[in-house]
Amino acid sequence: MSIITELESLRDSALERISQAADLAALDAVRVDVLGKKGSLTGVLRGLGALSAEERPAVGKVSNQVRAALERALEARKALLAEAALSARVAADAVDVTLPGRKRLPGRAHLINQITAEVVDIFTGLGYAIAEGPEAELDYYNFTALNHPPTHPARSATDTFYVRDLSEGGASGPITDVLLRTHTSPVQVRVLEQQKPPVYVLAPGRVYRRDIADPSHLPQFHQIEGLVVDEGITFGDLKGTLDYVCKELFGKDRKTRFRPHFFPFTEPSAEVDVSCGICAGSGCRFCKYTGWQEILGCGMVDPNVFGYVDIDPEVYTGFAFGMGVERIAALRYDIPDLRMLVEGDMRFLRQF
Amino acid sequence: MHVSMKWLKELVDVDLTVEELVDRLDMTGTAVESVRAVGEGLDGVVVGSVLTKEPHPDADKLSYCSVDVGGDEPLRIVCGATNFEAGDCVPVACVGATLPGDFTIKKTKLRGLVSEGMMCSSPELGLGGDASGLLVLPPDAPVGMAFAEYLGQADTVVELEVTPNRPDCLSMVGVAREVAAITGKHATAPVSVPEESGVPVHDAVSVEIADPDLCSRYTARLIRGVSIGPSPEWLAERVTAAGARPVNNIVDITNLVMFELGQPLHAFDAATLALRDGKAAVTVRRAGAGERLTTLDGQERVLDPNMLVIADDSGAIALAGVMGGENTEVSDTTVDILLESACFEPTSTSLTSRSLGLISEASTRFERGVDAEGCVRAADRAAALMAEVAGGTIAPGVVDVYPVPAIPGVLEMRIDRMNAVLGTGIPAGEAAGILTALGLGVEPVGEGLLRVSVPTFRPDLEREIDLIEEVVRVWGMERVPVTLPGGRGRVGRLTSRQRWMRRIDGAMRAAGLNETMTYSFVDPGDHERIRMPLGEGETLVELVNPMSEEQAVMRISLLPGLLRSVSYNQRRGVPDVHLYEIGSVFSTSEGRKLPREHTAVGGVMAGMWSRPGWTGDDHPLDFFDGKGVIEALVDELSPRHFQVRPADLPWLQPGRSAEVLLEGKVAGWLGEVHPSVADAFEAEAPIVAFELDAGVLIATARPVRTYTEVPRYPAVTLDVALLVDEKVSAERVEHAMRKAGGPLLDSVRLFDVYRGKGVAEGRKSLAWALSYRAPDRTLSDDEVRPVHEKLLRKVCGAVGAELRS
Repeated sequence: MSIITELESLRDSALERISQAADLAALDAVRVDVLGKKGSLTGVLRGLGALSAEERPAVGKVSNQVRAALERALEARKALLAEAALSARVAADAVDVTLPGRKRLPGRAHLINQITAEVVDIFTGLGYAIAEGPEAELDYYNFTALNHPPTHPARSATDTFYVRDLSEGGASGPITDVLLRTHTSPVQVRVLEQQKPPVYVLAPGRVYRRDIADPSHLPQFHQIEGLVVDEGITFGDLKGTLDYVCKELFGKDRKTRFRPHFFPFTEPSAEVDVSCGICAGSGCRFCKYTGWQEILGCGMVDPNVFGYVDIDPEVYTGFAFGMGVERIAALRYDIPDLRMLVEGDMRFLRQF
Repeated sequence: MHVSMKWLKELVDVDLTVEELVDRLDMTGTAVESVRAVGEGLDGVVVGSVLTKEPHPDADKLSYCSVDVGGDEPLRIVCGATNFEAGDCVPVACVGATLPGDFTIKKTKLRGLVSEGMMCSSPELGLGGDASGLLVLPPDAPVGMAFAEYLGQADTVVELEVTPNRPDCLSMVGVAREVAAITGKHATAPVSVPEESGVPVHDAVSVEIADPDLCSRYTARLIRGVSIGPSPEWLAERVTAAGARPVNNIVDITNLVMFELGQPLHAFDAATLALRDGKAAVTVRRAGAGERLTTLDGQERVLDPNMLVIADDSGAIALAGVMGGENTEVSDTTVDILLESACFEPTSTSLTSRSLGLISEASTRFERGVDAEGCVRAADRAAALMAEVAGGTIAPGVVDVYPVPAIPGVLEMRIDRMNAVLGTGIPAGEAAGILTALGLGVEPVGEGLLRVSVPTFRPDLEREIDLIEEVVRVWGMERVPVTLPGGRGRVGRLTSRQRWMRRIDGAMRAAGLNETMTYSFVDPGDHERIRMPLGEGETLVELVNPMSEEQAVMRISLLPGLLRSVSYNQRRGVPDVHLYEIGSVFSTSEGRKLPREHTAVGGVMAGMWSRPGWTGDDHPLDFFDGKGVIEALVDELSPRHFQVRPADLPWLQPGRSAEVLLEGKVAGWLGEVHPSVADAFEAEAPIVAFELDAGVLIATARPVRTYTEVPRYPAVTLDVALLVDEKVSAERVEHAMRKAGGPLLDSVRLFDVYRGKGVAEGRKSLAWALSYRAPDRTLSDDEVRPVHEKLLRKVCGAVGAELRS
């Protein structure tokens, strides 16, 4: 048998073994057997030295071809086996994708503060600064400087929480100089004492009234106060501002209406209704068949209030408004009982 | 204010439907609280005539009657009332009628006798009035007629919410005037000219006002020879519609005139007044300290000098503007009436009525302001009605003491100013028309200026702005064009503090806590229950008038409220609780007026992050979950230095209790709530809690962080386990490492704490991964090894550690 035939037969049997190799280890064994230092092809080539000079080039060429063919076959088979091995591993790694994920859910903001933040963002967009004031407040800021006469019913000990006054000579009776603010309006006075017009501020905060907690009342709740004082501010500006805000809060299709009302610290004063979100104004149980839901009180700053803070009402005019956050929450989410807002029930808090 | 539509229509020619009128009132500043149809629910009630009345054989107090109701057969009715006889006409509720209060009439047996209906009293028909007996109708009442039809009272009563600035609308005449103005109609007011005869009132009555600051006018009329009795039906009906209970003809007339004209009146039995020089001498004066008066409701009141009384020489006979006295009350035997029509000062009336807890129709009107100019007119009207209804004769003249006359105000309104405030272009003529319709005197003076005289019944109109409001509310707020304020150079932005608060808030939620809100006021015992001491010299902020003892003081900490929320959840089968609250806490001290208020950031955690799932990576929450929340917050705020230091805090479990320090300042505390404290709030331990002062958080937060280079070369990380005494804290070991590590020590990470087999009692093994890194080259092991060994030697020496092999 010529050496060439031997080479070809060696090639054929090696290719056969390569194609049969079941895994990467078996394939490597084939490589070592044929191409290794002691491999069969290596052995054949070692015998080349015995050949004549005429035979050598032809045999050398064939042997190189055989080596190249075997190396190609090994590579190809190796790639094939590697891919198969990967596929098998991947297949074994399959999971039930419907199993729940690993998570630590972030917490939720309280509904009242979500709404407050939303209103704050609307007004910062309109160019308002955010002001704050104390919850325990002086009578002066809560009532007197807001033009409440001494006998105003809101000042009675049945309506307002009074705080023990520990200052020297502080009143000891049922009505002291210190109280839990009954509205966020005292912030108006505090701001106007600190800042000259133009003033554009929003003051959200907690307020207190002596109401027994029931589904529609809490002795503590939250208000958002707005105050604008500038040259040329009109009642139309007040309407435009609140109309815009109500549409932002409740939806573009909602209407607002202004009903004249009375507040000691604004004049003219109005209550603002938005069209009922349930019946779209046609009247339903939810809006007591009026088609409207009351959401805030407002008005032009009374000149007497300007008097307390030394602002000339002939030069400046202004408007103020106050809205109840719990009221907005109840309207938007149809919450059946306001007490849920202070119970801390995880099942309630996680909903919003 | 209850407004009978029937009555209103006599005073103003309003032609709107009730619905239209209600809408118009709503949109012009007089809110309508309710609309109620009178006579509703009287189906099945008819006029009946009692044919026979016999005693019930088996019941002393019942009678057995046959009653003709216009049907084929008379009804047989058992009745308990006694104020009627055979032949009387009464309202009869037949079987099937449903009376107010959802009371359905059925055929029943009473003590053995069948009863086929019920004869009714006035209150049983929802009409108010006398409940002691049947409503006996005039003998000519048409038997069988539907009772509602008989009453002719298809009336509607509209209840108005009158704002405190509109005392004039607490009268039918005032409401009629308002309705006329807002509907473009005309109102008329009833006028009565009394026919006088006999001895003039000045010869029989004298009046003296001792305190004119509290009583600007007092008038008295004398009506002699009245006969007291029930009011005629029209009078009773009217008084009932206005919301009062018919009493007798004289009292009902005073009430009628009060509702009609807004002037409270009081009728004294003239014979009960002490005489001085032959005259009933009335004095209006402050009460003496401790002076006593038994008021009409039978209660003896102890008075003080802040209260105004009407007195004769024997003492107080009425509480001015609030309630009359029992001794001078009109009774069945009263013959002569001394009629008071006066004007008392609002503040004093209000304080008196509130301090005695006596709110009456009269006091409500006086405290808002009664028109002194209307006193005589009201007295004339009432006197004339008394003559007409009760057969009295009116003594000539009125005793009228009027020390402080009401003066009509004169105001000016600039049309330009009005339109500038409103943002409108309302013409002068239109504005003038509106003010005129409201009963004001309007005179144009010069270009764009109105001079307006304000009648005394509108005390609320004192300034130009008050007139502007009147114009816009009638002209129509809905017509004011919508604009947005122009305003130059304003910037809407949160303050730095507010932005930090938002980040704190966000960090709490990102760490997995849910925001809640609890009451700012707590039980004074709560602070004892949490055993949290106040600062030096500080005391609790006490409410003078809390809703209840459980809400009597302001909280010094968010913890009590949060523990209650934990308990609330646990008791409802919700074991996993992760809550935070940001809110004010309060304290005060002797000498302070306003309390101190701080914003606190508090949290509570109980149970697990979530119930164990298939991945098995959940654990009961403990101290380190709480610390993790705070570390996440610290990462957000980036203070220069943060430390958690063991501290004995009575409300926390010893050994799991720490203070949180930021830049060396105590910012708050962290720990597991002491089991006995949890117990006191009916909450189940373990509960992790913390509270931080927002002020310190913000003061130490760094608005701008500094850049440090991101490493470009790899680190060499070596692990080591150190055996140390239990007493040695991880923090101390870490400090020693950082101190000894030199510039190449990049980071230190504790990855295991081990006690038990192989570690001596009282010792623990802390396993650390130490990373070494150079900023400018890749470190070789040979370079790191001596640094590491030197570090270990130093650390072992510093904290008494040995290497664990």
